[in-house]
Amino acid sequence: MKKTHIIVLVLVAAIIGTIVSMTSDYSTYENFATATTKKGEELHVVGNLAEDDTMIYNPKKNPNRFVFHMIDKQGNKEKVVYSGAKPRDFERSEQIVLTGEMKDNYFSADKILMKCPSKYTKDTVQVDGGTQAQVSDIQTKGKSYD
Amino acid sequence: MIEQVQHAGEHLLPGHIGRFFVVISFVAALLATVSYFSATRAKDNLVQFYWNRIARWSFLIHGVAVVGIVVVLFYLIANHFFEYHYVWKHSSKSLPSQYLLSCFWEGQEGSFLLWTFWHIVLGGILIFTAKKWENPVMTVIAATQVVLASMLLGIHVLDFKIGSNPFILMRQAMDAPIFARENYMNFISDGTGLNPLLQNYWMTIHPPTLFLGFAASIVPFAFAFAGLWTQDFKGWVNQALPWTLFAAMILGTGVLMGAAWAYEALSFGGFWAWDPVENASLVPLLTLIGGLHTLVVYRHTGHGLKATKILFILTFLLILYSTFLTRSGILGDTSVHSFTAMGMEKQLIAFIFIFLIPSVYLLIRRWNRIPTQDKEESTSSREFWMFIGSLVLLLSAIQITFTTSIPVYNEVLGTDIAPPTDPIQHYNKIQVWIAIIVGIMTAFGQFLRYRRSDSKTFFIQTGSLLGISLVLSVAAAYALDILVVHYTLMLFAGIFAVIGNLAYLFIKLKGNLRMAGSSFAHVGFGLIMLGVLISNYNQQVISINREGIDFGDEMSEKQKRENILLWEDTPKPMGNYIVTYQGDTSIGVNTYYNVKYERLNNSGEKVDEFVLKPYAKITPEMGITASPATRNYLTQDIYTHVSSVPKKEEKDKKKEEYEKQTIAVGDTIWTSSKFVVLEKMNPYPEHPDYDKKKGDIAVGAKLTIGGIEGKTQHAEPVYVIRDKRAHYFDDEVSALGMKFRLMEIKPQEEKMVIGYIEDEDERDFIIMKAIIFPYMNILWAGCIIMVLGFGISIVRRRQENKRLANRKKKRETQETLAA
Repeated sequence: MKKTHIIVLVLVAAIIGTIVSMTSDYSTYENFATATTKKGEELHVVGNLAEDDTMIYNPKKNPNRFVFHMIDKQGNKEKVVYSGAKPRDFERSEQIVLTGEMKDNYFSADKILMKCPSKYTKDTVQVDGGTQAQVSDIQTKGKSYD
Repeated sequence: MIEQVQHAGEHLLPGHIGRFFVVISFVAALLATVSYFSATRAKDNLVQFYWNRIARWSFLIHGVAVVGIVVVLFYLIANHFFEYHYVWKHSSKSLPSQYLLSCFWEGQEGSFLLWTFWHIVLGGILIFTAKKWENPVMTVIAATQVVLASMLLGIHVLDFKIGSNPFILMRQAMDAPIFARENYMNFISDGTGLNPLLQNYWMTIHPPTLFLGFAASIVPFAFAFAGLWTQDFKGWVNQALPWTLFAAMILGTGVLMGAAWAYEALSFGGFWAWDPVENASLVPLLTLIGGLHTLVVYRHTGHGLKATKILFILTFLLILYSTFLTRSGILGDTSVHSFTAMGMEKQLIAFIFIFLIPSVYLLIRRWNRIPTQDKEESTSSREFWMFIGSLVLLLSAIQITFTTSIPVYNEVLGTDIAPPTDPIQHYNKIQVWIAIIVGIMTAFGQFLRYRRSDSKTFFIQTGSLLGISLVLSVAAAYALDILVVHYTLMLFAGIFAVIGNLAYLFIKLKGNLRMAGSSFAHVGFGLIMLGVLISNYNQQVISINREGIDFGDEMSEKQKRENILLWEDTPKPMGNYIVTYQGDTSIGVNTYYNVKYERLNNSGEKVDEFVLKPYAKITPEMGITASPATRNYLTQDIYTHVSSVPKKEEKDKKKEEYEKQTIAVGDTIWTSSKFVVLEKMNPYPEHPDYDKKKGDIAVGAKLTIGGIEGKTQHAEPVYVIRDKRAHYFDDEVSALGMKFRLMEIKPQEEKMVIGYIEDEDERDFIIMKAIIFPYMNILWAGCIIMVLGFGISIVRRRQENKRLANRKKKRETQETLAA
């Protein structure tokens, strides 16, 4: 057998080994209901901010505790406790991806990824005189990942 | 437009000119492609000549049209013609003029233009320098230009949207009643502006560099493709080498600039986060560098031509793939900073296949005819180890791509896989080992000779270097406390790479700088490894909050406490520093928060003092976007950013509502800066306002209140039930600004509800995070040295090529003379 063949074999083995070892790191997108059955597991939950519920961030008390409610894709609402400072522009977020684990009566998040479409896509024409005209933009009407 | 409304205040002419240029650039690129294609295929010299002339002229016209588009778009932006959607969306009147360029390429259309523009510049150089390779190489580049020009077309064919035109008007882009009014321009007085995060000088230099890197990477691909196509499998190698070095240098610089930007200006808390967008530009760089090494191997030994071709083709395809990933919106859930969808996914996918299909077809078709060496590489040869190194880089690229592509699998297979919850750990698991292998190989690889090395000299030389590196690594590992197996190995690999290549430069090359390109690049790589390792492994968050921690049930043990609250003018110890927030200053939209750091020595004398000014842009559209400030020392950086600032208007609000806590005797309530202990229940309470009466049920809550400093205080609010009604007798502790009320008693649970009001502290405060990154300078020095190394190699390889050409010319003249 030629050396190149051995190298290629080793490489293929290395690739397969890497990929197999990698997949164990992959997590899943869950909702609050399924997350409850997987307590203690780090996972992602996608949803929207429950705007009617109050958000609690009292930095004077604890700058690393931010509490809010999120509604997942199934429509279930759950309390979320994030151990960190309240992200900037949190109120504007259209979609939230949480990383963390489910606890007994709340979801403990250690990472929050917000989608703020207002930054990039949603066009709001600021018309002089204070009224705002919300318009749908054909240019940005791409795919929505819901 | 069905109804013809005359709109006042619009500037339509530049838009017409712009759209005209867009069409011209597309058509001319198409013509250039066809002509170059025909010129390549032509057997007859004269026919070839004419096709070539048509092609050159078309390419020139294409170039002029693209420059025209750029000029018109820039004119629109500079003049604030907000009737144009692109201008309205990416700029505003208040934008400082230095950011006009940045808003030009903030959008997808503008960044495609930037890429196209660089292709024209590089294409122009190739027309003059590529000689017999001009026709096939330029066919590839012109074809890319056709696809890129189509991205700006903005036309609908059947149901497909082809491209997005930057000259589209607001009223064409949007559907709103206001546009029916002929004077709608009176109402649109300003644009939405450039994303404040991007208002940074990096935004002015990072995109052009990165896109020049992308554009330059097409050249090795085009040469490799041309070689396959014209069946001149070897002739392209010499010309392609300096181009490859150039592409690797610029792309590398672009990627590193992105890292520097993230570190300096964005509050990610580091320079690399394995974000999909970062990965997308790193992966082509890895395969390009792999291809560079196999190309050098081929030039010296004749081995590795097939591998080189595969790697260059892969590099370009990966650039197209990364274009798809970052621009299709598919990364939406996984990345913080990709572009959003524009409905051009299909076009972007087509872009990949337009180049994938012919490349793979040619590669398979010509595979057996690509020259190879019958003799195998010897394990003691340099080329063998360079080849292995390239494969390891490929492996690295595969791992990164595999995980970055998760959203693509979900889309294609309909699965719902989420990316790893801890991406940094996930990538590092593999990439650290890859760095170790590559680092070690760059060190000993230099001491091997092409074809075969004398093992005795090799082992003596590298053995002694290995010894020195081992000693240094052990010392460094203990000094820096890096004692985890794979990180210690990485430390060793980095040190070995630096020592090995320095030794090679001084001992073997005798300090000959002309030949030192690879030594420089590898020393740079070793330093980057060390810088990345040390600054990350030993990074230390010093802003640990130690006060007012809520010990409620919601606090997990791994609770992060990495943000700290600083009251104005109140010093707080943080790491080795005493930190004081000294108020803010506003300059334009930026608010600077002045944070003074003081370092005391053991005897309490001040040894160092500086003020950091992390800032936040506060804009009505975006709220707050924060940028860090960093104090650079030779051995460490102190990095600070504000995580949160109080909204100014909220400060006036006085709270008159009781915070309630249900507690049992012995429990503690934590408030912002104080603790309250319920000592005991008092069935015979005393209170100045309370006149005892028979039949009363009265309870007092004996409270002990303590603050961070000062003595503890006592309070006793009283709760009385008289005539079946509850009466409250509050107790105030004015020294601490607190008021207490016993609100309810729960006899079954043996608990009480204590309400309290704490005087809002009127002082200003900020919440901030501070991290010490040690030895960042090693990282930056490594980057500069590596880029320098590429530069040296470019000069050397170009000189070699010139010498070869001269020698060839001389031989030809001699031959003609002899004849």
